Order: sequence, then structure tokens, then C-alpha cells
Amino acid sequence: MLEYKHIDWKLVLAALALSVIGIFLIYSAQYDVTTGNSMNFYSRQIIWLAAALVFFFVLIHVPLRLLDFLSYIVYVGALILLALVLFIGHAKYGAARWFSLGPIHLTPSDVAKLALLMALARFLGYSKLPPESKRRLFVSAALAVIPAMLIVRQPDLGTSLVFVVLLLSLWFWAGLSPLYLILIISPLLSLLAAFHWITWVVYLIILIAGILIIRPSFIFGFYTVLANLAFGIITPYLWNSLADYQKLRIMTFLDPGRDPRQAGYQIIQSKIAIGSGGLLGKGYLEGSQSQLKFLPERHTDFIFSVLGEEFGFIGTIIVVLIFAYIFYRGVAIASRCRSKFASNLAWGALTILFFQFFVNVGMTFGLTPVTGLPLPFLSYGGTSLILSWTLVGFLILADYYWTEY
Amino acid sequence: MTSPRITKNLRVIISSIILVVAVFVIAGGLFYHQIIKYDVYLIQSENNRIRIQPIIPKRGVIYDRDWRVIADNRLSFTVSMVPFERKEGVTISRLSALLGMDSLTIEKRAKANFISNYIPSPIKRGLDVDVISVLEEKGEEYPGITYSVESVRRYEKGISAETFIGYVGEISNEEMESDPEKGYRPGSLVGKKGIEKTYDQHLRGIEGTEYIEISARGKIVGPYSGREKIPAVPGADLSLTVDLDLQRFIVAAFHDFDTLYCCGAVVAMDPRNGEILGFASFPQLDPNIFSGPIPSDIWQNIISDTTHPLLNRPIAGLYPPGSTSKLLTAGAALELGKVTDQTLLKPCYGGMQFGNRFFKCWDPAGHGRLDMYHAIEQSCDVYFYQVGQLLGVDPWSEYALKCGFGKMTAVDIPGEFNGIVPNSDYLDNLYGPKKWSPFLILNLAIGQGELVVTPLQLTQFYCGLANGGLVYKPHFLREIRHYDETVVKIAPQPSFRLPFTHENLGILDEGLKLVVQGEKGTARGRRKKEYNISGKTGTAQNPHGEDHSWFVAFAPSEQPQIVVAAIVENGGHGSDVAAPLVGKIIDFYLKNKVPDFVRADKDEEI
Repeated sequence: MLEYKHIDWKLVLAALALSVIGIFLIYSAQYDVTTGNSMNFYSRQIIWLAAALVFFFVLIHVPLRLLDFLSYIVYVGALILLALVLFIGHAKYGAARWFSLGPIHLTPSDVAKLALLMALARFLGYSKLPPESKRRLFVSAALAVIPAMLIVRQPDLGTSLVFVVLLLSLWFWAGLSPLYLILIISPLLSLLAAFHWITWVVYLIILIAGILIIRPSFIFGFYTVLANLAFGIITPYLWNSLADYQKLRIMTFLDPGRDPRQAGYQIIQSKIAIGSGGLLGKGYLEGSQSQLKFLPERHTDFIFSVLGEEFGFIGTIIVVLIFAYIFYRGVAIASRCRSKFASNLAWGALTILFFQFFVNVGMTFGLTPVTGLPLPFLSYGGTSLILSWTLVGFLILADYYWTEY
Repeated sequence: MTSPRITKNLRVIISSIILVVAVFVIAGGLFYHQIIKYDVYLIQSENNRIRIQPIIPKRGVIYDRDWRVIADNRLSFTVSMVPFERKEGVTISRLSALLGMDSLTIEKRAKANFISNYIPSPIKRGLDVDVISVLEEKGEEYPGITYSVESVRRYEKGISAETFIGYVGEISNEEMESDPEKGYRPGSLVGKKGIEKTYDQHLRGIEGTEYIEISARGKIVGPYSGREKIPAVPGADLSLTVDLDLQRFIVAAFHDFDTLYCCGAVVAMDPRNGEILGFASFPQLDPNIFSGPIPSDIWQNIISDTTHPLLNRPIAGLYPPGSTSKLLTAGAALELGKVTDQTLLKPCYGGMQFGNRFFKCWDPAGHGRLDMYHAIEQSCDVYFYQVGQLLGVDPWSEYALKCGFGKMTAVDIPGEFNGIVPNSDYLDNLYGPKKWSPFLILNLAIGQGELVVTPLQLTQFYCGLANGGLVYKPHFLREIRHYDETVVKIAPQPSFRLPFTHENLGILDEGLKLVVQGEKGTARGRRKKEYNISGKTGTAQNPHGEDHSWFVAFAPSEQPQIVVAAIVENGGHGSDVAAPLVGKIIDFYLKNKVPDFVRADKDEEI
């Protein structure tokens, strides 16, 4: 039987604090200044939080070993779900990201994130192959690429990025040298460098020099160079194959002032919201950017901007510190676990929470591109909230069973 | 294959560093935006929430001297675009369909009238209610489009009002730049001509500002609570010196010529104070056509019209004064002692030989030997040739300048011309030193040749003759009635004194009286039972066709209350066309407008 006193309640409390803050912010984000009411998003979020807490409560009672055992089954189930969404998903903002189960909208990509995390944690935890073994890298990459492909086709760039980052992060945590990681992602760098031929040539020279220093296997080096050449050359074609809104997002990220009425609008409005919050903020329900609806997607993607505008630097820094505490606990738990599966699971949970936090918060003041990634715990959305709480659940479980092998 | 493994501890250290750095990057970014750049973003957020809506005050009404309306306002709708709120690819194309304007024109208008991202730029004025009702009902389909009620000028028609009232129109870039202090901004309506221009600052009032809270979708939330609404101050009403009845009568009288004479000018002035009672230029334009955008075909017609309706003849029409300037010649000769009123010069036999050229008199029958009174009465050219010869060019020219010719009268409407008073330097420049005939003065002395004057200058000169030599500045503004009911009366302003002694003025006046009252007076047909008229006919030689017909007169001769000058282009002899016109105008004025007009005045005289 689960012994509650061994549970990391401070971590639970931190997550709960963020979730409650999120509900208050959603209330404010959907508050209507002319009627004095808020749309019922916040009440739905309360129900979602209750559901997430119930799910969390159930989850922490699941023995870690059972979770370990179910990993691949959950993974396959998620793939089926993703495939279904491709055919019957609801289109919204150019992306079919919703999956209806009666009144409940699920974002299967969030489910897929969990499934991939479990599958990777298990595979990398049990594989006896050395970290840089081609087979090990290939199989784990395949585990990530299959759901990522299904999501890209939907298409949702942000979630795909989570998959890539999760994969790289777990490779690293499972022992792969950062130098190898750099070589592995080098084709992506090649792609970026290829926007101009001079940068690309310089980049290739550096890459080859790097390979000569690291001296990986001949085949590894050969494929790296080949992939770099291929990515660099196909960049223009790849660019053209992107959906318009994806191109727009990348261009907007590079230059938000390009067209203030359209693509850069969100970023500009968000920066104005955050910046005009100042030290203490404009006060709850008093943020003009949010209340006058200048801020787009304020209850979902840009919930942090509402916080910044209404509670100022004090408010944002408190939330950042709570997240930092969760990340600190995540590193501590992952590094303490004796079981590789548990350690990987905790590390992956930390990676997802951290990456989404960083990209989402960075986006609100123009540091990172607008990817549509929600802010864990705070953004409106049932699946996102359940995902976040599940990740906390994984951390709690890994911590609770840290002595197990 | 080398395998550079790293230990778990190293991994923890690396990842901890990454996490700490990342959290600091986020915190630093927030610090930068929320603390360091706070001021910048605060201003942007302030601008975001409000639309700055100018409140255009009611433009002052322009009245005649008895507070009868000459120019007032009618309500009209103006559609404007708030640049920040417009939606690319939606707003302009839909607006284009609604207004029937092409998108490019709308873009141009929006750009030309751009003030701020948050202030509406006027796109189209003078719109009907049906366009506005579309915006009222389906405003959401026109993001960034707003409308406002504005006043459009409505002018009294058929009174040649365009000549002195002018009109209003959208401010030009040059006007904006020339007066940065006056609070104009792109799209402002300003006076473009006449009274509307001179007294624009009084008429326009002071714009107010309303701060309206706007949601990002362009929905009006309501007045913005953070900034006080600044109410507009309505423009001041003006009362002019013009008498609407007289003005109407002048226009009607001129139009009695029908198709006979198209062009000319009439100025009526009170010699006792410089008040302009009537002021007309023919052909006249209806100023109402300038109140909205002028259709290009109408504009083409106006500028290609050979009768030049845009020429403001009373102040910008340049004509030789003809015999009307003989009074100037006579006055100068008296002052310089070249002749006396009694001096009899060589007789007129229909002309006179000067050097190797015979200079004709207007009357081939000749006038015989005359003194100054009768020379003025009969307008004998031969007499004035001789006076001119006695004077010489430069002394004559000096007196002409002192009589107000060759420079502006400083009347309170823009667009006035100087005219030309030639002297020997001028003639040297024109013809080369000493290349001009010494007999050129003969023509100048009878008001032909290089001397050109505006009808207003001539009126002013006769005001001086009628008013004992004192000339008041011609003006249109009589009274300013401000919004707060305070009234400013405009006092008459003495302008200058004619350079003639009281005695000599009496001689000239006597001559002028004979022109109408004398047996052989050139305007004896204008004689009235009830009062005496003094005046002078003139015929301005016109190298392009029939001569122009002049008549300047004042009445009653003993206590002049009105001076009227008229020129009828291509009217021929002054006595034939202009004199009857002026006679009618004076008669109308004295009988209808001077309550203490006493018939008995004349009986005593005779």
C-alpha cells in the first residue's frame, strides 16, 4: 500500500499552485468588460483540474513496475489514436488537433507524448546496446518518428519539436555523448545554415573538422556528412513544402515587426501586455491588453502574458520560481533513481515540462517562435492539464520507488 | 570506434547548468521587458486601448451686416479609417464596394490623411445616410471603419459669394507646413479662399478630442475612463459688412445684361468707414461646388473657360482705369500748381497734334476751350493730354502711388494684386532707357497705356474723394460673435489720406458732380430727382476687343454714403453700360438702405 508520507508533497503543492493560478488567469483572460462576466472556460478548467487530480491520484497508486510493463501497449494505443485523428479530427486554426469523445475534446498529441515517453524510457532503460550503437539509435528514433510523422501531417510543429527534444534528451540521459548529439542534429543545423551558401560552406568546414576530432565510426561519420549535404541542398524544397502558416510562424519569429497587423501581431501584443505589466502589474482583471482582447489566444497559448500584464514582474517571477522548483526536483529525482526506467521516465517528464515551459514563456516576449505549445498547468485545456499532472505523477512515482531496480 | 562516455555526475552537472541558464534567460527576459522597457510598452498599451476621435466643432456661420445667413453648415457624414484597426485584404476591398471608390484611391486617401495609427483618417466626405446605415448595422464587417457627422458648408447661391466668402476644402501639404502652429492636421477642412481663409482661425473653432476604448476587433467599448474628454469649442460667427440685399441686387442687375456682357466686377463701399457693401465678380461661380470633391469634368470646364470664372476681378482683375483716373491727373496738377481750376488750356478740336503725332479726343466733335470743371464733366482727353504734359511721368506717378494705386489695399481677403503704376524707371526697363516716347505721359494722363488698377483700388480712390480725402481700409469683417457670446466689433481703420488739399478736393468733387448733374456731363443720363450723384465714366482701351466700360460714382454728392465702381468688360463707353448699372445700384441702396435718406437735401441745393 502506498505510504503517503513518502510522497513528495511539496512537488504536488507546486503543481497545484500553478494549476490554481492558471484557473484565475483563465477567468481573467475570458472576462468580458462590458458584461462583467467570464466565459465558462474557467469552470471547465476547474472540472478538468478535478479530473486531472483524480487521474493523478489513481496514477500514483499504480506500481512503477506495472507502468513499465504497460509502456509499449500505451504506445501502440496512442499511435492508433493519432491515426484516427487524421481522419476525423476537428480542424481549428489550420490544424486538426482535437479529437472529440462526446463533449470531451482530446488532443491526442498530448497522449502521444506520454506514450512516447514511456516507450523510450523502457527501450533505453532495457537495451544492452552501447549508447552510440546504430541499432539502439535507430530503433529509439523510429519510436519517436512514427508518432511525430502522424502529428506533422496534422500538422503541429510544436508537438513534433517536443518529440525530437524528448528523444535527444533521453539519449543524452541514457549515456550518449553530447558530441554525438551535436553530430546527430547537425543536419538540422545544416538546414538552417543553408539559407545562405556562404554560411553553409563555413558550417560544413566546421562540421568536417569536428568529425575528424571526434573520430566516430566511418559509417556514422559518412552518414552525418551525407545527411548534412542532403539537408543543405533540399532546404529550398523543404521550405516550399511547409504549410503557409508554418512559413509565416518561422518568418514571424525571425522578424515580428514585418507585418504588425498579421503574423507578428500576436508577439507584439504579447510583448506589450507583458512589458506594460511592469513590476507590480495592472491588477487582476485590469489588464487592458487582455481585457480589450488585444492579446490573442489569451486563455491558452498566451496565458503567461495575462499573468505578466496583470501581476507584473513579481507575478511572473513567482511562477518562474515555482517551475524552477519543479525542475530542480525533476533533476534530483531522475539522478537518484536506481532503476533506469524510472530515471528515464522522470528525466523525460522533466524534459517535456521544461521544454514546453521554456518555449511557451519565451514565446510571450519573442525569445522563441510561436509554436502553439501550451504552458504546463496554466494554459486552458483538459488534455494539457492531465498531461502535466501525469508527468508530475511520473516524477512522484520515480521518487517514491527510487530504491527499486 | 572511440566512445567518449560521460559519467552520470557530469550529465547532472551539464543538465543543471542548462536548466539554471534557461531559467535565468527567462527571468532576464522578463526583467528586461517588464522593468527596463516598461515605459515603452506602457505607452504602446495605452495607445492600444483607445481610439483618439477628434471632435470637429461647428464651423462659424457667416452672416451679412444684418445677420442674414450667407454661409452656414449642413450635416453630412464622413467615413474614416483607423489605420491600426484595419484588416489587411478585408477593410479596403469592402469599403471600396460600399463607397464606390477604387481601392487605390482609398489607399491614397488613407495615406494622405494619416495622422496616427489610432486616429481615424477621413476617406470620403459628404456621404448619404444609406451608406452610414450599412456601417451602423454591419460595422463588424468593416474592421477599422468609423464614421462621423461633419458639417459641410452651404453657401447662399447666386450672390457671387465665392468671390469674397471663398470656400473650404481639405488642407494641402503646403498649408500644413506653412502653419504648423495652428493645430491643423491631415484631412482638416480649412478655408481655401476669401473670408473662409482669412478668418479660418475664428471660424473653425477648436477641435476637441474624445478617447474611445476599442477592443482588438474594433468594437467600441465606450468612452475611455482614463483621459478626460476635451470638448470642442464651436467656431465664431462672423457678420460681414456686405449687405445681402444690395449684393443680390448687384448680381441681378449685372445679369440683366444677359448674354450681352459676361464679365466684369462691381464693388460698393461705404466711404465713411471702408465697409464693403457689395462685391461681385462676373462670371460667378457657385462656391457649393467646392464643398465636396469636384468632379473632374466640372473642374476641367472651369479652368478651360475663357471667361476665367476663377479670376477674382475686384481685387485681381487688372484694367486700365481709363478716364476714371483723370481725377488723379487733375489733382496732381492742382497740387503741383501746374494749373488752377480756372486755367483754360488749348481748345479741343477732336484731338491735338503733339510732335509728329495727332492725339485724338474720344469725341471727334471736340470740346472747345475748357476749364478743369468742364474738362472733368465732359472728360475731354485733349485737356488732360495737356495737363499730363505739364506734369511729366514721374510727378504723375508719385501722385498715383499716393492715391493708393500700384499697391494692395490690404483688404481682408487673400489674392489681391498690386496693379502697375509706371514711372520712368519702369518704362526704361520695359522699353529700354529713353526708348519710350515723351508723349507716353499723354496716354497715362487719361488712364490708358501701362497704368493698370484693380476695381477695388479705384473704389478706394473714389472713397477718398467722397470722404474729404480720408481713405479707410476696405474690409469685409464687421463683427465677430464668439461662442461664449462675446462680441468683437471691428473698428474702421484709416488707411491713408489722398495727397490733395481740402480746396483742391472741393474742385475735383465739383467736377465729379458735373459729370452727372452738368448739362454736358458724360453721365447726365444718371441724374435723379431725389439726390445728386457724383461720378466719372471711363473707357478702358482693350487691345483684344471691345473696350471695357467703367463707371465710378458716389451719392448723395453732398454727404456720400456709398461709392460704387463697376467695370463691364467689352462694354464700350462707360456712359453706355457701366453708368446705368452703377446708377441702378446706387438708387437701390439709397432708397432701401439709408433710412434717414432725405429727399429735401437736393431741393436745398438747386
